[in-house]
Amino acid sequence: MKSAFAKSLSDKIIIAILILIVLTYFLFVVLPIMAVFLRIEPSQVNAQLHNAAIIEAIKLSLFTAGTATLIALVLAVPTAYFMATRNFHGKAVLDTLIDLPIVLPPAVAGVALLYAFAPRGLLGPIFNHFGYILPGSTIAVIIAETFVASPFLLRSAKTGFESMDRDVINSAKMLTDSRLRVFFTVTLPLSLRAIISGAMMTWARALGEFGATLMFAGNLPGVTQTMPLAIYVFLYSDPLAGVMLSIILIAIAFAVLITVKLLEQKRYGAKK
Amino acid sequence: MIQIDSVTKSFSEKNVLNNLNLEVKDKEILSLLGPNGCGKTTLLNILSGLTKQNSGNIYINNVLVSGKTNAKKVHLKPSERKVGYVFQTVSLFPHMRVKDNVAYGLKAMHLPRQEVKKRTESLLDFVGLREYAKFYPTQLSGGQKQRIALARSLATEPQVLLLDEPVSAVDPQLRESFRLELKNYLQALKITAVYVTHNLSEAFIMSDRIAVMGNGRIEQIGVRGEIFDKPSSDYVAKFLGINTIKGKAIKIGAGLLEINVNDVILHASARPILVGKNVIVTIKPEDISISKSISHPINDEGNSFAGIITEMVQMRSTAQITVDSGFLLKTRISLSTIKDLGINLGDKIYVYFNADALNVFEENNSE
Repeated sequence: MKSAFAKSLSDKIIIAILILIVLTYFLFVVLPIMAVFLRIEPSQVNAQLHNAAIIEAIKLSLFTAGTATLIALVLAVPTAYFMATRNFHGKAVLDTLIDLPIVLPPAVAGVALLYAFAPRGLLGPIFNHFGYILPGSTIAVIIAETFVASPFLLRSAKTGFESMDRDVINSAKMLTDSRLRVFFTVTLPLSLRAIISGAMMTWARALGEFGATLMFAGNLPGVTQTMPLAIYVFLYSDPLAGVMLSIILIAIAFAVLITVKLLEQKRYGAKK
Repeated sequence: MIQIDSVTKSFSEKNVLNNLNLEVKDKEILSLLGPNGCGKTTLLNILSGLTKQNSGNIYINNVLVSGKTNAKKVHLKPSERKVGYVFQTVSLFPHMRVKDNVAYGLKAMHLPRQEVKKRTESLLDFVGLREYAKFYPTQLSGGQKQRIALARSLATEPQVLLLDEPVSAVDPQLRESFRLELKNYLQALKITAVYVTHNLSEAFIMSDRIAVMGNGRIEQIGVRGEIFDKPSSDYVAKFLGINTIKGKAIKIGAGLLEINVNDVILHASARPILVGKNVIVTIKPEDISISKSISHPINDEGNSFAGIITEMVQMRSTAQITVDSGFLLKTRISLSTIKDLGINLGDKIYVYFNADALNVFEENNSE
């Protein structure tokens, strides 16, 4: 029989190895982020925040990602509600297809959008008829971002609608014959957290969209050059500007994740 | 008054309700008793309109709320049926304060604000929770939540109240007192109510009449004593924990019906119509006495058999003893009696019971 001492020693070794693995992984994630922050002096930040090229990219990104999120709210939330509350043939197929952009490589998304919306694409003739060319326009950026990012909202909202207590909804149905009233006074408030956190994930994903935008919309400063595209260009022409944009995106990503976590923890009527 | 006419409902090929008929009298509290999964909740959902039956008619106070007459199809929405529903799980709106939960139906009726306030307060008074008006549901106990759910369902002044095991949302140690509270509320309301439960003693406490549900229909309906004394089927007797014995009625002798059970003769009250038929005999455990010797006098109208104790299950103050006398009988004896008699597992004892304690009915061959 092993002595108690040997036993506790082997326990300690196992824990030590585990801690080592965790630290390695933690450093692997944090080091690259730190490396970005180390590239810029605090005194340089102010000047960069007045850099016209940076401001232009930020403005374009906020506008396109914001619009993409709004479109996603209008399209994905009702779809999520439909998918969560109804059963129909081919639901599983539809479910998978709608989620597809989440795992689709952005380059493939870009190609797909080109074949659908470019002048020689599937819907090209319609746009040509009105004299409109999508690629190279801000609208193309919004389309690319909506395509890639909206499934995050759809998924989250669907989970929110699905996890709702049926008896709570039924209680409301017993008291009013208005479907809309039930939806807006009970269903929506109870799934609001899921919708908001889904919208934030969609917004963050849209802000970071690179591949599909580059391929489908192009890289025109002020028109299609969003923050990630600008970073790519600045890497060679103006590294400091690239670092500044990266830091802003890191901060946004961080803020979104924390907000989503807080939203998930909040409970009604808990400590005020 | 509720009238349910041959209602059938199936979920993906599985029949849950099978030509079910039931009538709930005006201002009566009826318990719907049955094991889990027997379709009790489905029946409530159909009554409320949340679920649609495949066929059959539902009348509330003589108004057809769902079904077909003269090729006219009717299916009223839940809110149009004047039905209140208290659900099994705590179904309060978690994002609303207690007063807004209670006021939900009133606001949906577009009543003036003052009226909503007045009625909400009187409902909160009724369930004794006015001082909790500004609380959120999570800050209430299980019993308080269900009282609010009751108040909320009453806001629209329903003519019928449906309650689906409302006690199960309450902590076990508080259930007893909550049941009595709930019963007082229901009696004060003088409302037609259907109370679903799988708990025998709960059905007894809550209502005068009990409908035992099984096999997708009402197996038996009657006042509580009646169901216990004269279960009408094997299913009901077994569900109620009553002994059931299969045998054959042979003849009437000495004013009693003689029933052959594995060549042992039981004596029951005379019912000539059963002679020659296969029958089921039921007897309540509490109607069976035991003694260690045959010295106990046996009158003419009695039954007495020797048997072996094959099982003893001890409970808080009683024990359930199973005796094998050629057929199995369960009886309930107080622990002190067991101690006085000094009986143990495997002992030979005598069981005896009166002829009129036996309930006999013809065995239904269709089952």
